[in-house]
Amino acid sequence: MSAIATTKPNIIERFFARHRGPLLVSPAILVLVAMNIFPLFWSFGLSFYKYRANRQAEPVFVWFDNYIKILSDPVVWSRFQTTAIFVAVSVLLQLIVGFLLAVLFEKQFPGRRVLLMLVLTPMMLSFVAVGAFFRYYYEPTFGLLSQAIKAITGEPFIVLQSPIGAIGAIIFADVWMWSPFVMLLVLAGLVSVPKHLYEAAEIDRVSWWRRFRTITFPYIRGLLLLAVLFRTIETFKLFDAVFLITEGGPGTSTETIAVYVYRVAFQYFRTSESAALGYILLFVVVVLTNLYLFFVQRRAKET
Amino acid sequence: MSYVRKLKTAIVGGALVAALCGSFGGMAAAEDITINMAAPDWPPTRIMQDLANKEYKAKSGNNVKVVLDFIPWPDYYTRLAASLTSGEKKYNMAVSDSQWLGAFVEGGYYLKINDIIDKDPELQAIFKDLHPNLVAAYSTYPHKSKNYYGFPQMPDVLVNYYRKDIFCNDDEQKAFKEKMGYKLPCTPEEMNEVDWKMWEDFGKFFRRAKGDKLAGQTLDDDFYGIAYQAGKGYDFSSMQINGFLWQQGADIWDETKAPKAQALGVVNSDAAVKALEHYLSLLQYSPPVAKTGTMDIFKTDELFREGKLAAHIEWIGFAETTINKEMSKVADKTGFAKMPGTKGADGKMSRWSNIGGQPFILTTWTEGATQTEAIEFVKWWLSTPVQTKFAQAGGQSGLKSVFSSAEYNSYRPWNHAFGPSLDWQKDVWHIPEFFELLVQQQEEFDKAITGQQNAKQALDNIAAFQDKTLREAGQIK
Repeated sequence: MSAIATTKPNIIERFFARHRGPLLVSPAILVLVAMNIFPLFWSFGLSFYKYRANRQAEPVFVWFDNYIKILSDPVVWSRFQTTAIFVAVSVLLQLIVGFLLAVLFEKQFPGRRVLLMLVLTPMMLSFVAVGAFFRYYYEPTFGLLSQAIKAITGEPFIVLQSPIGAIGAIIFADVWMWSPFVMLLVLAGLVSVPKHLYEAAEIDRVSWWRRFRTITFPYIRGLLLLAVLFRTIETFKLFDAVFLITEGGPGTSTETIAVYVYRVAFQYFRTSESAALGYILLFVVVVLTNLYLFFVQRRAKET
Repeated sequence: MSYVRKLKTAIVGGALVAALCGSFGGMAAAEDITINMAAPDWPPTRIMQDLANKEYKAKSGNNVKVVLDFIPWPDYYTRLAASLTSGEKKYNMAVSDSQWLGAFVEGGYYLKINDIIDKDPELQAIFKDLHPNLVAAYSTYPHKSKNYYGFPQMPDVLVNYYRKDIFCNDDEQKAFKEKMGYKLPCTPEEMNEVDWKMWEDFGKFFRRAKGDKLAGQTLDDDFYGIAYQAGKGYDFSSMQINGFLWQQGADIWDETKAPKAQALGVVNSDAAVKALEHYLSLLQYSPPVAKTGTMDIFKTDELFREGKLAAHIEWIGFAETTINKEMSKVADKTGFAKMPGTKGADGKMSRWSNIGGQPFILTTWTEGATQTEAIEFVKWWLSTPVQTKFAQAGGQSGLKSVFSSAEYNSYRPWNHAFGPSLDWQKDVWHIPEFFELLVQQQEEFDKAITGQQNAKQALDNIAAFQDKTLREAGQIK
């Protein structure tokens, strides 16, 4: 008789066998807690204290003072207004340009693949590279834009001199960088429309607008909403382009709320106030996200 | 074994043991110590790293390595501030702008060095040899007090960079004399006597369009006469405007007289308004980028090196790249002189300017052997032979024994302007609220530079903000 040793699993092996799933994900959860959850709660707690990182004084609990101070500060509201202008104009333009590009690339034509790759390049570049590029692009002495206009008018073009010009310049850079992202989403929707629907519409001699409204739009609506959500949230946090191209100027005319948070946190060292302002921003983003989810769910119910 | 043989064996064995013990003992005593230093990435700190790598050997026998973490200037403050306040304790030393002293001393990050100096006659001798304006600016917090925190890494002043080939050209000399009625300065000695009125004349005279002649050559692009910093970022207009204010009898809020010193009525005095108007009026002779509020020290440096300017005001720290043929189109065409001054009614020149350069500091967590070695490194760096080598390589020394020596001016073409300028240097505030004051001031100056408001409105807004902020901080009562 062969003696096959059927050893009983010990307590450790039994524990591992029973909790294999949680144990496998626990390293990821630990990293998440250490890198995200803990700092999130810590900074939320900090927003209720009076604390400056460049002072040795102990933090003092001040309840909602930081939030009251921020919400009653006209500078904060002015920065929110500037941000709202960027969000409204930039996201709208990104949607229009992205949509038009998607319509263009939906069709097959020679060189489409190469052109598509080129169009997608801006969103793959780093923010710093794009900021530095546009700073030179708008530079009135050497800059491409100024040189091109000077060739026609004889005078250098100083786009960053006025608040409107500076806002327009940043929006142009943002639209240039992120329209391809919108295009990608819309293109995914456009190519998913079954061809037979278009064929049927053609047989019925349906107008272009009706075909778009009844066939195309329902397929891209969800993705368009997703594009709006992503781009609104990202543009709401717009920092890099502003800081690199205008540094918030002329004066404070292009200073977004994200740039202001940076100033409060790292230049003024009002650490706990900046935490509170950060949570107000987070609240706005959460509201925007929920609005999106609300629209998506309503659409799901309708269908 | 015979007795003699036994004795010989014992002696050889003993000697061997003693030698081994000695050598291992020696190895055990020599510690490996790394001094991590945050440093902005530019020639003065690069030269320091090169000299340290090649020549620094700790007297203690320890293996001391000085490692500079080079950070680009535009990110430098943010990166250093983030490191210090995050508690990572990465740096033992840091090159720091003098204005940051208050903020980082109050935060508990910069080490007070009074006790170290008091115990060390070598350091005391170094401090005696340093120019007093440098000690006040780089070492003290509160400003001009007896509390010391920093050692000069490299002192810097604003000087006039000008195109020798253009200013000394015979045709230009003749045309300028005809138009302006006096000789166009050419030599450094002549250029040292330039005031802002003459500077304005340079601006008017050297503005040329594409296709015009300049020093016998036909221009292939527009050319501009003068430029100085007028940027919104960091302190890239305040440093120049402060010079105008002080030269014309105006002042900034004086922290050394706190809490009695006032901002209202001082910062926006009539003299200050006049000085700012003067600063703004000269921007019309600069390249068009001046109107965007982005003509900072890096931009004027770039424009000058690209050959677009006849003259500009810049920190000496940029001079080494200006005379580098690989990085500059005007490397062999550039002359240097003192920054223009303001001539008073008595004909005397007022030359006040805002000091540049940086101290380096020790962080409070740098203790024990690392602190001792860091101090030894500072003493090495501020020794006369090393400072002489630094100056020969293109740096500036704050030691009187070095910058007053007969050879000093021969090291670099700008050195003649450096020593005499030190007597005229003042510094901006050192208080912890420095950045709040600076950011708001830069915003208001920027609005004036970009034509959104006039000089009076800008200074009224600055004075009001400073009054409010400094009262809240208890700096004005």
